[in-house]
Amino acid sequence: MSGPAGVVDLSIWQLALALVLVAVVIVVSIRQSLGLERDLVLGSVRTIVQLYLVGLILAAVFAAARWYWVLLILVVMTGVATQAAVSRLKKPLPGGHRIAAIALTVSTAATLAYVIGVVVQVRPWYEPQYIIPIAGMILGNSMTSAALAGDRLQGDLRTRADEVEARLALGFSGREALQPMVRAALQAAMIPTVNGMMTVGLVQLPGMMTGQILAGSSPLVAIRYQIVVVFMLAAATGLGSLLFVRLAADRYLTAAHQFRRYLL
Amino acid sequence: MPQPIFQVEHLSLAYPGTRFDPAATVLSDVSLEVPRGDALSLVGPSGSGKSSLLRCLNRLVEPTAGTLRFDGRDIRSYDPRELRQRVALVMQTPVLFEGTVRDNLRVRPVDARGDFSEERLARALAEVGLEPALLDRDAATLSGGERQRVTIARALLRDPQALLLDEPTSAVDPPNVMLIVDTISRLRETRGLTIVVVTHQPELVRRLGGSLLYLVKGRAQALEVADARLQAFLTGEHPAGVARPA
Repeated sequence: MSGPAGVVDLSIWQLALALVLVAVVIVVSIRQSLGLERDLVLGSVRTIVQLYLVGLILAAVFAAARWYWVLLILVVMTGVATQAAVSRLKKPLPGGHRIAAIALTVSTAATLAYVIGVVVQVRPWYEPQYIIPIAGMILGNSMTSAALAGDRLQGDLRTRADEVEARLALGFSGREALQPMVRAALQAAMIPTVNGMMTVGLVQLPGMMTGQILAGSSPLVAIRYQIVVVFMLAAATGLGSLLFVRLAADRYLTAAHQFRRYLL
Repeated sequence: MPQPIFQVEHLSLAYPGTRFDPAATVLSDVSLEVPRGDALSLVGPSGSGKSSLLRCLNRLVEPTAGTLRFDGRDIRSYDPRELRQRVALVMQTPVLFEGTVRDNLRVRPVDARGDFSEERLARALAEVGLEPALLDRDAATLSGGERQRVTIARALLRDPQALLLDEPTSAVDPPNVMLIVDTISRLRETRGLTIVVVTHQPELVRRLGGSLLYLVKGRAQALEVADARLQAFLTGEHPAGVARPA
């Protein structure tokens, strides 16, 4: 079977054959007493149901091509990403949802606007085929880096609380006192992205590029998009974690340069 | 009578409950005065709020109620950064940053006033009984006693009017305890520094003199002049029914 652009269209039966792959893992889980069978079954069902639902929604939005539907999808995606970022923190952060929402919205909006409006020059800007997958990639990376940075910040503030207090006692401002921990958190969040840039394409082909090639694009077109994506994700990661950590750090300070240690 | 350098009236401190933790009362209605150049020892069982009270004095911790005056002014009228240079804090576990002893003595905000010349650093080290040669040492290689004395020297370089010490001898091995006790009591004499110390070390209380505040569960049980009754504390008896402080 082949689709219009020479793409192999997958039938339901072919999808069913792919389930054999999960079955293999389930057998491994049973034989090794990993206790993961239930989650594997549930995960497989969720994969199918969630992706089908998303597919149906996207097909409808693509067909309608209205800016407000696109915006609504972006808002929902940001909401889910916010929830996921906050829930990955080991210790609850007061006001964490608001902070994550701001950090993810601003970093995604800024990066997305530049990529869609200036680099790729999609017309109209809300063309769902471009903006939704690109926004998804940006959000996913912002979310991961914000959670990584936040987690590291909390951990460092806990273990280095005396250091913060010592700096404050020496007359440093609250922000100056937290700066070493903010810096460490940002590094922790950005290092995976920077390392990824070093090996991109050498170890594995990035997901988007793989998808484009599978869908019939020339590899030379695919790499151009991938280059944009790599740079875009670097910006989103940096911006998302910076905003999140800055706002989160401020939650641990008062206007009188006091460290709210009891929140940790 | 000259104006006290610290005046604390009806101080209470409670940490607000969050969605995740219940509220906790740390200090209840504590009042005290410390005359300029005098010493005050805060004693009491652990968890009685001594360290929190100490941190209220340089506004590292914000009281929930009550007033605190330093040098005649409400401490909220000072820029907290300025206040903390004038009321220096030495913590229980000495915190030294990466680098040499010199780097550590020079740690300060960009706009901080004060003299941080080589001679001044050497003098500060001498005041705490350390050799100037130590300036080039990597701070990570110092012993516990040396570390604590370096943090005291670092506090002195701010030319503070008062020195707050939070169990300065508890993280120090026994042979060094007396050195720290010596250093602190000497500072009170030579610099006329006002000293407020949280301690379990009877010798430090005895050498410093001044007053004693006994805290239990955040309440001041007794504030008394360092006289016969101090001896009761030093021998482990905490007299009841002592007059409340000013």
